[in-house]
Amino acid sequence: MRRLGIALLMSIVCSVRAMAGDPQQLYYALRNKVLSVKDYTADVKMKIDIDYMKIPQLDGKLYFKSPDKMKMVRKDGISILPKKNINLALGSLIPPGDVTVIDVGTAVLNGKTLRVLKVIPEAENTGIILTKVWIDEATVMAWRTETTTRDEGTVVMELTYGKYTKYSLPDKISIIMDVKEYKLPAGVTMDYREVPQDKPKPKEDAKAQKKKGSINIAYSNYVVNKGLDDAIFADPKPAKK
Amino acid sequence: MIKLLRIELYKIFRRPRTYISFGVVTATAFIFQLAMGAGGREFIEFGMQDVSEQFNVQGNIINGYLVAYLILQSLLIQIPLLVALVAGDTLAGEANLGTLRLILTRPITRTQLVLIKFFASAIYTVLLITWLAIIALFLSLFMFGDGDMINLKSDAFVLILKHDVIWRYVCSFGFATLAMTTIAALSMFLSAFADNSIGPIISTMGIVVVLTILSNLELPLFNAINPYLFTAHMVGWKGFFDSIPPYSAIGHSALVLVAYTLAFVGGTIYYFNRKDINS
Repeated sequence: MRRLGIALLMSIVCSVRAMAGDPQQLYYALRNKVLSVKDYTADVKMKIDIDYMKIPQLDGKLYFKSPDKMKMVRKDGISILPKKNINLALGSLIPPGDVTVIDVGTAVLNGKTLRVLKVIPEAENTGIILTKVWIDEATVMAWRTETTTRDEGTVVMELTYGKYTKYSLPDKISIIMDVKEYKLPAGVTMDYREVPQDKPKPKEDAKAQKKKGSINIAYSNYVVNKGLDDAIFADPKPAKK
Repeated sequence: MIKLLRIELYKIFRRPRTYISFGVVTATAFIFQLAMGAGGREFIEFGMQDVSEQFNVQGNIINGYLVAYLILQSLLIQIPLLVALVAGDTLAGEANLGTLRLILTRPITRTQLVLIKFFASAIYTVLLITWLAIIALFLSLFMFGDGDMINLKSDAFVLILKHDVIWRYVCSFGFATLAMTTIAALSMFLSAFADNSIGPIISTMGIVVVLTILSNLELPLFNAINPYLFTAHMVGWKGFFDSIPPYSAIGHSALVLVAYTLAFVGGTIYYFNRKDINS
C-alpha cells in the first residue's frame, strides 16, 4: 500500500515536471485549472484608486459565473465593476482557444521564482492581443498577468493566494489598468470652486501618469461551484430603448 | 424687541405673496421628482457616459439623495428671487403703503427697526430652506428610496456611502440658509433706497444673475475678481458633497457671506438713519 502511494506520488510529480518542460502544456494546465471554477460567490472589499473617481472602500458580495458573468451586490448600495475585457476574473485575461506560447524564461516575483510565458491567441476576435503570464510551476498558479487588449489598453493583474489555492482562487488581486479621461462641462455641474483658486495645475507628465488606475480587491468566504442562476446577473432596471 | 419681531413676522406671513415662495418650491420640486421618476435614468446615463464606458455602475443610482441634490442645484438659483420677494418688501413695502413714517413715530429707533426687519427676513429664509429640505430631501427619499449617493462634478465622479450622506445634507442646508440670508440682507439694503418693492426685488435678481454668470465664466479676468463675489461663495454647500469636504474653503466662504451680510445690514442701518422719510 505504501509502495503504491509512493508510486502514485512519483507519477504526479513526473507529469507536472513534464508539463513544466513544455510551455504550451503549462499554459493549458493553468487555463484548465482556472476554468475549472464554473461559478463562485465571495465577500469582497474593493478599493478603486482612479484619479477622477472619489470612491470609498466598497464592501459587498461578488457573484461570478464562467466564462464572463460577474456582478457585485451591495445591500442598498451602488456597485462599480470594470467592463468588458477588464474583468476581475483571471479567466478573462488569459487568451481562450488555440494559442501560441513563447517561453520567456524565469523571473523572481515577491521572492518566488516563476516561469514567464507570452501567450498569443490565434483567433482574432478575442479582444486580447497578447498576455504575459507569471506562473508558479509547482502549483500551476498565475501570480501575475499582463494583458494587452484591443480596446482597453494594457491590464496588469497581480494575484495573492492564501486559503483557496485548491481552486486557484486568489485572496487578493490588484489590477492596474488604463483609464480614459472624464470631463463634464463646468457650466452644467456649477461646481464649487475653492476660492482662492491658487492650486497649481498638474504638469502634463504628471497628468499622463495619472491615466493609469488601480483596483484592489480582498476576497473571503468563497463558495465555489455550487451553481448560480443567470437571473442573478440580470440588470434589475434595464435602460429603456 | 421680541414683540416687534412677532409683529413683523405676523406681517410677513399674513401676506399671500409669502406663500407663493413655498408654493413655487413645492411645485418645482414635485415636477422635478416626477421627471426624474419618468426619465431620470437616461438623464443620469448621459452624465455618466465617460464612467460607463469603462465601468458597470449598478444599484439604486436614482435614489432620494441624488434627486434631492439635483433639486437643490436647480432651485438654489431661483430661491434668491423667492427670498427677495419678501426681504425686498420689508422697507420699501412700508414706504409704498405709507406706514413707514407712522411706525417711526413709535418709541423705536431706526436701527432697531432695520434689525427687526432683517431678523424677520432671516427667519422667513430659514423656514423656506427648511421647507425645501422637507420637500426636496424627505419627499424624494420617500419616492425614490435611499442608498449610496453619486455626485457628478466637472472633473470627478464622487460616490458617498449611504450612512455618510445625511450629515452632509444638514450642513449644506445650514450653508444654504447662510447664503440666502446674505441675499435677504442685500434685498433689504436695496429696499432702503426705494419706495416700491418691485425695484429692490428686480435689482436683487439682476445682481445675483450677473454675478453668478461672472462666477461661472472661467476667464482669467473674472477669475481675479471671483474670490470677491458673494455668488462664488454661495455654492459652498456643494463642498459638503466632495469625498472629503474642503472645510477650510467652506469656512472661508461662510466668513465671506457673513461679512457681506453684516456689510449689507450695516449699510442699510447707516443709510436708513440718514434717510428723509417722506411716506
